[in-house]
Amino acid sequence: MPKIEVNESLFFSLLGRRFSARELESRLEGAKAELDEWLEDQVGPVDERTIKIELNDTNRPDLWSTAGLARALRVRETGTRPEYPFFSREGAPAASKRKVVVEESVKGVRPFLAGFFVSGRAMTDAVLKDIIQTQEKLCWNFGRKRRSVSMGIYRTAIIQWPVRYKAVAPDSVRFVPLQGDRPMTLTEILKEHPKGREYGFINEPHALHPLLTDAKGAILSYPPIINSNDLGAVKVGDTELFVELTGTDLVSVTLSASIVACDFADSGFAVEPVKVEYPYDTAFGREVTFPYYFQTPVSVEAAKVSKLLGKPFSVQAVRDAVRLMGCATESHGQYVTVYPPEYRNDFLHAVDIVEDVMMGKGMAFFEPERPRDFTIGRLTPVELISRRAKAILAGLGGQEMIYGYLGSGKDLVERMGTGDGEAIRISNPMAESFEYVRPSILPNLLGSESVSSRAPYPHRIFEAGKVAFRNPLENYGVSTRARIAFLLAHGSADYNEAASQVATLMFFLGKDYSIAETEDPRFIPGRQARVIYKGDPIGIFGEIHPRVLEAWSIAMPCSAAEIDLESLLV
Amino acid sequence: MDARSLVKSLHPLEVKVLLRYGTPDAMASGDAIASGGDRLDSARLESELGYKEGHSNQAFSWLSAKGLAAEDGREARTVYELTPLGREFAEKGAPEERILRYLSEKGPSRLPDIAAGLGLEQKDVGSAFGTLSKEGALSMDGDKRAVLSTEWFEKAHAAGGAKPRVAIVRELLAKAVASEGGLLEESALDGPEKAAMAGIARKRGAGDAAFRAAERERVWYRLTADAVLAAEELRSQGVTGEELGAVTPELLQSGAWKESTFRPYNINAPAARLMPGRRNAYVEFLEGVKDKLVSLGFEEFDGGLVETEFWNSDALFMPQFHSARDIHDVYHLAEPTKAKSIEEPYLSQVAATHENGGASGSRGWNYSFDREFTKRLILRSQGTVLSARQLPKAKVPGKYFGIARCFRYDKVDATHLSDFYQTEGIVLGEDVNLRTLLGFLEMFAVEVAGAKEVKYVPGYFPFTEPSVEVHIKHPVLGWFELGGSGIFRPEVTEPLGIKVPVLAWGIGIDRMALMALGLNDLRDLFSPDIESVRLRRAKNI
Repeated sequence: MPKIEVNESLFFSLLGRRFSARELESRLEGAKAELDEWLEDQVGPVDERTIKIELNDTNRPDLWSTAGLARALRVRETGTRPEYPFFSREGAPAASKRKVVVEESVKGVRPFLAGFFVSGRAMTDAVLKDIIQTQEKLCWNFGRKRRSVSMGIYRTAIIQWPVRYKAVAPDSVRFVPLQGDRPMTLTEILKEHPKGREYGFINEPHALHPLLTDAKGAILSYPPIINSNDLGAVKVGDTELFVELTGTDLVSVTLSASIVACDFADSGFAVEPVKVEYPYDTAFGREVTFPYYFQTPVSVEAAKVSKLLGKPFSVQAVRDAVRLMGCATESHGQYVTVYPPEYRNDFLHAVDIVEDVMMGKGMAFFEPERPRDFTIGRLTPVELISRRAKAILAGLGGQEMIYGYLGSGKDLVERMGTGDGEAIRISNPMAESFEYVRPSILPNLLGSESVSSRAPYPHRIFEAGKVAFRNPLENYGVSTRARIAFLLAHGSADYNEAASQVATLMFFLGKDYSIAETEDPRFIPGRQARVIYKGDPIGIFGEIHPRVLEAWSIAMPCSAAEIDLESLLV
Repeated sequence: MDARSLVKSLHPLEVKVLLRYGTPDAMASGDAIASGGDRLDSARLESELGYKEGHSNQAFSWLSAKGLAAEDGREARTVYELTPLGREFAEKGAPEERILRYLSEKGPSRLPDIAAGLGLEQKDVGSAFGTLSKEGALSMDGDKRAVLSTEWFEKAHAAGGAKPRVAIVRELLAKAVASEGGLLEESALDGPEKAAMAGIARKRGAGDAAFRAAERERVWYRLTADAVLAAEELRSQGVTGEELGAVTPELLQSGAWKESTFRPYNINAPAARLMPGRRNAYVEFLEGVKDKLVSLGFEEFDGGLVETEFWNSDALFMPQFHSARDIHDVYHLAEPTKAKSIEEPYLSQVAATHENGGASGSRGWNYSFDREFTKRLILRSQGTVLSARQLPKAKVPGKYFGIARCFRYDKVDATHLSDFYQTEGIVLGEDVNLRTLLGFLEMFAVEVAGAKEVKYVPGYFPFTEPSVEVHIKHPVLGWFELGGSGIFRPEVTEPLGIKVPVLAWGIGIDRMALMALGLNDLRDLFSPDIESVRLRRAKNI
């Protein structure tokens, strides 16, 4: 979930009025946003005061900028939708003075580009900072770390149109990248430039790499890595800029371009369309003029809104509510058709309109209602037998424990001397201590004993919980089972005490069992037994082998048991 | 001193000492103390009160602690304790004595023959011969035979003459055997006895000697003036020290208690610590939440720790290209890596929903659904998986919940665990809606969290629309987000065969658990430390 920092005076001037922290907090709820930090009495120049805001809706990238968030709150307050006349639509391209020519070579690498031109006012520090933040948030969160969307901005004074978007061999060109001091090939940039090292993984698998040049071949940028130091360095005071976005998903690229264009327009810039010519078919055709409105209308029946929200809504009430969310509407009988605003593409289904109605009305409009359906509550059979078993072991003097289910190979495998044949290993552990899922509760109990030699003896501890292990018979190749296990540690802990505890547990659970000889390396040979229930082995108990105790640095005799609770439900 | 309350805390061992020696006369008589008449020590209590040595020391220690007795000097003394070897000598005779007897019976003999005849080690015989010849009792003749000195023998048996050392040793051994514990006080020995003892006692390595020499300390006490007051109080209350202590089966069977009174116990003594068998405080907290939800009509569900991408995310309509599904957000299995198959018709219906909306009325995510990726095995990362799995088998109306262990690829610290519980559930019904959802949230806020104020704000979850967060004002924690909820998107319910609205909710109970257990670090909930778990208590929430 992105967090943004907005310039206080820019934000409130775009909003059209100032809010107190309390007012802002409640208004932000209507945009699924939270006030993270705002020191209303912060020192420093007024122009540099900032507000930190956290945005929760990952499907609303239009809110991740000062202009976009201010727009949402302004529309919600005033009910007036902003107009963006510079958008082209299917079959109705806007007039454009500039164009970008896409070459066939990018098709297999990074096939889509959208762009537009802005002019009409000088860039200020606050707007420039916000544009850079928008670029970061859009390309990182929405553009999947620049994989599906990345963005570049250029001073246009010296660009020769048309701009060309092509793919080249990475050693065939060289230019001075931003924050660079010498011409570098694309390969050198990937190896040596910090941005190359960060985002190089996107281009590295390809033989040809994307490149943006002007008509004379001067390099604008190496998408999605870095701009040129000459054409791609934007400064405060610049009045004419070219904005382009490239990526692997046309819808994401187009929507991102629309969002940035609307932000520029709201900040007082004139947006001039740019035509992009593709040598191949795209979902929007071979010639697309950006910014481009591609969204499709979604319809909902007023009755459906009423049913899901639990209050009666007329067609007009639905239209009134969604207008506050920035949507244009039409009505057809009992249906409302919603045209998403240019900067939004989060209407997949009629239910998305229902939510906008909810937000347009505000939560206070909906009173909580007690449920009317009668249902019977119950716990799972495993939970019930587990509680009975735990009560018995506590009655026998046991202290119940609860453990994490992940552990290190050292604890779960090596120290137990069992080999890792059945333990589930994690291929991408965060740390050594989370390498395996526990196949047994016993390592956790021994782990407790190994850190508790100062706790007054005797120690009698137990846990009921899940274990998981490999099992080729299952569809997933693994089994999860509910088990209960105990450990007895004191000067005379032995097989007999474990046997008595198992016998008592099984007696009061009402389960007849027998025992069989077994050879488990965790226990002393001849002092261990398998628990057999209805012909199946369901557990084990005995004296822990001193070799295992030594591996855990335990200097106190231990006996233990582990029993599968689910098997007892049969 | 409050004599009345003091005497209640007295043990019979103290009472008897006070009654016997705590008299004003004894205290007044300075001479008596000077002469040792009222100086007390263990030996005196043993002989006069019949105490065992341990009892005497306890009585002095307790009386001193209460200011009723004070130490009045100590002196070191040496005691000789008979060793097992010494007992053997007492029975069979010491080697020297036996050699003398042998020679007087058999006449002059070579040392090896003596050793063989008496069953002794040659070196022992050699060293005994050395000692005895120095004393003039033996000599060696020209045939290397030991010969008993007639002169010495006569002197030894002459009446009124000095007893030979060998005879003194024999008497010492006999005296020690007759004494309690085989002990001889050094102070009770005369000059020749002391000299003889020096040859047969050792401080260390006494296994080879007849006696072990030990330094003991004798400590003298005298009673204080308060002791007299305490004794007077005891007499005035009629306490004798013979009152009954523990109630025993014998006492009850004999009826002897009818003839006596019970000694009052010191009820202010701190109770001894017990280590009971106990349930775990955090587990009990979780069970309490389960019981609450059951009381609200919810049925519990559960499932495996390992899941597929399909159930963990695809079935919840999270697109496969979503950034939250990158490799570093969930734990993957090294082996096996994939499920053999995904349940049909759900796989096809979910795939179609992602691609173009399927039958859900959605336009879908418009990409090509990867049917191999969806089989990939991971550790369950969200409890909502169980809700999705419940949908195909759910009843309408139906209410279900689970407290599910989930795994996140997260750095572990006081507020993040890689392995934790999520509390989740669903409500299915023909007529459930946003207001019913708010009704449930209100119920959880009040019934589960004990909240007085509740606030609902729009939320965002990829699988619900609309989505609502519930914030509560907790009596202790203040405002915080209790949970997230919403109505499952039709893209989630339709492919799993559900035609009615489904409310989905999750509540975060960890902060309440920490508060209830008096903790401030999530890691402590799963502490392996036995002592800290033993002492943990749950407060009422």
